Amino acid sequence: MSSLTMADAALKRKRVARKRLVNGAQNGVWFLVVCALAFAVMLPFIWMIVTSLKSPTEVFAYPPTWIPKEFQWSNYVEMWNEAPFGRYFMNSAIVAICVTVGQLTSCVLAAFAFARMEFKGKNVMFMIFLSTTMISSQVTLVPTYLIMRTLNWIDSYQALIVPFLANAFGVFMLRQSFRTIPKELEEAAKLDGCSRFRFLWQILIPLSKPILASQALFAFMGNWNSYQWPLIITNQDSMRTLQIGLRYFVSGEGSTQWGIYMAAALVVTLPVIVVYFLVQKTFVESMASTGLKDI
Amino acid sequence: MKKSILVLVITVLLLSACGGGGSETSSGGGGSVDADGNVTLDFWYALGGDSGKAIEELVNQFNASHPNIKVVGTYQGNYTTAMAKVYSAITGNTLPNVAQLGAAPLLGSSGAVLPVKDFLATDSSFDLEKIHPAFLQYNTAAGELWSLPFNNSVPILLYNKDLFVAAGLDPEDPPEDIDELLEYAKALTIKDNNGIVTQYGLNTKDDTHWYLSTLFLENGAQIVSEDESEMLYNSPEAVAMLQTWSDWVNVDQVMPRNQHAEAQSDFLAGKLGMLMGSTSGVSGIQKDAAFRVGSAMFPMVNGVRKVPVGGGSLVLFKNENEQIRNASWEFVKFMISEQSSIYLTSKTGYIPIYKDALNWPEIESIIEDNPLRLAAINSLPYAVAIPVFSALGNSDLALQNAIEKVELGSADPQTALDEAKTSVDHAIKTQFSTPSP
Repeated sequence: MSSLTMADAALKRKRVARKRLVNGAQNGVWFLVVCALAFAVMLPFIWMIVTSLKSPTEVFAYPPTWIPKEFQWSNYVEMWNEAPFGRYFMNSAIVAICVTVGQLTSCVLAAFAFARMEFKGKNVMFMIFLSTTMISSQVTLVPTYLIMRTLNWIDSYQALIVPFLANAFGVFMLRQSFRTIPKELEEAAKLDGCSRFRFLWQILIPLSKPILASQALFAFMGNWNSYQWPLIITNQDSMRTLQIGLRYFVSGEGSTQWGIYMAAALVVTLPVIVVYFLVQKTFVESMASTGLKDI
Repeated sequence: MKKSILVLVITVLLLSACGGGGSETSSGGGGSVDADGNVTLDFWYALGGDSGKAIEELVNQFNASHPNIKVVGTYQGNYTTAMAKVYSAITGNTLPNVAQLGAAPLLGSSGAVLPVKDFLATDSSFDLEKIHPAFLQYNTAAGELWSLPFNNSVPILLYNKDLFVAAGLDPEDPPEDIDELLEYAKALTIKDNNGIVTQYGLNTKDDTHWYLSTLFLENGAQIVSEDESEMLYNSPEAVAMLQTWSDWVNVDQVMPRNQHAEAQSDFLAGKLGMLMGSTSGVSGIQKDAAFRVGSAMFPMVNGVRKVPVGGGSLVLFKNENEQIRNASWEFVKFMISEQSSIYLTSKTGYIPIYKDALNWPEIESIIEDNPLRLAAINSLPYAVAIPVFSALGNSDLALQNAIEKVELGSADPQTALDEAKTSVDHAIKTQFSTPSP
């Protein structure tokens, strides 16, 4: 009897060990695949950094070099001196932060109304709201410009910020997320004397952190990268943003100074990468959850 | 680069269609005058990099020498975005006083620009006659001089002297005409054991229509009819040139198929023998190249040399205030003066705009300092202008398409040019036939 159990146990151990081995091998393969994909994603960034440290002649060297022969740190100095980048940074930061905060506020309130309140024509209104996501921004460019002119806002922070304070897609995302939170929770809160606003502030928002984080990232990134609108609506250097500053390095008819250009691109990209790392954890959670929850 | 005109057309249509109030002409305009009579002018320009720096320096020189006028220069993106900005500023009534733009004379029909003759009538200090006629033509649309030449370039042939030596060619004796060009290109094309080309002899930059147009003109073909109602480049003279182009790619295989966007980086990587490009890019290429760069005038066809000019111009916008208008004119006169032309020529790849510039000691010393500039500046006497008409952007695009079709073998040169002509003629009739408001 006991010998049988021992043999059994040995067999089991063997099986477990084999399973572990298979699992380990599988994990190993996956690890390699993920590493390869990560490398593929990082490649352009690495190339940007490498190029930013090269001399003009080395940029075009064939075959391409992965380690600059001589590190051209001066590219960074030249880049910073080329245009008032300090000012551009400040402008971009002011605009991106204001838009992010503003968009989150308006989206949360609108999404709350659409998800949690009953009023006449709610669904029709929501559909109309949603359909605006299908209009490309180029189409509304001129009308928005004319509104800005009428308000005398050309060349101002308002013009860079206000048109982006509402975002239909953000409302949609948040509404879907709010709807997944059980109605009972709200009723229970109500019974305990919780006001609507407090329910939103203390229960709904904390529960929706991941989706809010991703919305914040979208808003920040979208605004940080925007080029066309800031270019059209600002005329003075003092109101310009980073993306326009980047264009100073692209010579219209001559050839572009790629080393300096890439140095500038790196500096401009850094804040977005930093913001991404800040919200990464919550962001990934939301990516995982939006796919799984039935809405 | 003249290809930016393409987008101009689209922009004009988009903005005038959406704007509604787009026909309203700007009369207020930018700029200001203070109580002491000091004028501040807004100036927009469309060149970045070294050329942008040269413009800023000229603005500084002007400000230093004109205590009562202060010009505030702002970079507004490349020709395409700057033109988009100008059109939105026309709608928004936020125009600057002066702008440096590509395809500038086409702005004449917007009603926002002051014709140059308004100033010439009262100012005898400026002699238009001294400017090379090609540049004036380049700034004329519908018979009116709407803008003045500022930064101008012509097509040119750049070559890799080291590859010339390796191929047994004399690096100081570049090809003179397209027959020699083919000969040289053949010598410069290298295939590996599997018959795959590892080094091409010839390519052009991605504004392909410019180089084809040059060949057209040199072979005696016309681009557009006198009254600008019809395209003429499906003539035998033009078709022959596109056939030559096609042969470079498909028969002689000295030019890579449909790879014009990479031509400059291939050239800089030392994988391309000769590059048709713009004189404006010469100094940049020289800076980036790890080999000895040579330059030659654009090759002739049957002993004829004609180089159509490209580049940017200065326009003056309408303004209610006479003081501002006069200050704007002072500024433009300064920017296109002989002194400024020499400065711009020395700092960038652009060529001087004055007829007798080749005799100026300053220009001679620029060439002495940098022999690479010789071919560009020597092209000046051969400068011509392709007529500036409203469908020019469509035409450039149609030619690029024709070249692509021929290179890819989806059409023969005659068919491709017939199609190009038909599409542009159609655009002239449907989009540009009614006079602009």
